Amino acid sequence: MSASRASETVSSSILIVDGDIVSRHVIADYLRHCAYGVVEAANTDEALIALGEATLSIDVILCDVSALGSRSGFELATWVRTNRPELEVRLAGGVKMAAKTAAELCESGPHLARPYEPEAVIDYIKRLRASRTR
Amino acid sequence: MQPVSASPQEASLAARPLILVVEDELLIRMMLCDGLRDEGYQVIEACDADEALTVLAAAAPDLIISDVRMPGSMDGMGLLAVVRETLPTLPVIITSAHREATLAVADGATQFLAKPYLVVSVIEAIEAELARGL
Repeated sequence: MSASRASETVSSSILIVDGDIVSRHVIADYLRHCAYGVVEAANTDEALIALGEATLSIDVILCDVSALGSRSGFELATWVRTNRPELEVRLAGGVKMAAKTAAELCESGPHLARPYEPEAVIDYIKRLRASRTR
Repeated sequence: MQPVSASPQEASLAARPLILVVEDELLIRMMLCDGLRDEGYQVIEACDADEALTVLAAAAPDLIISDVRMPGSMDGMGLLAVVRETLPTLPVIITSAHREATLAVADGATQFLAKPYLVVSVIEAIEAELARGL
């Protein structure tokens, strides 16, 4: 599994929670370029499963505020801050914020650098969405 | 996701086969996707058929691996039916813990893998399918 295996080879793992598969996938791959281990959760229920899995060592949660599930993104963040205060939670209110946050995480991550600018990530997501609506 | 390239990193990934994994159980999905990434495949993780259809509208995977029983507007067999209509030559490997092999193959799956499976078995099945398409 990514985070357990990642813990052997990289210093940090990130749980990304986003119900939009396009932005989730692109930002997850961006973070993988930075040598983070990444766990992708499609909703807050999957995020809670990941957080309850002892073999995963998650350090940071990047959560879309509008993530769906039995808890909202905000509620998940509140739950984590109460029950897992050792974890860093970054809430993002959209793809621009998520990409910017991912870039910041890369600068403090294993490679200490962003692989490319977050604007390229945003443009890529926009192009994928545009191709979807054609 | 292919075919749009966001960066040099994305462009270098474009040469690797792209696998779309459709699985609603987070830990199984992670295990499989990480195993495939370790083998050098590009992987997109979808938690249900609806997410898979979103991916198919924006990207061109080389192969799909899908579970059968999933929540959402359709199950894996429904997804298979849509794929067979729109992408008749795309290899689709169906996985299930239930005895649905005959049905899956009759409906156009190129292979069926019973759960629980070893990741190495999935990789062998993918290699066989991709080699057949060369």
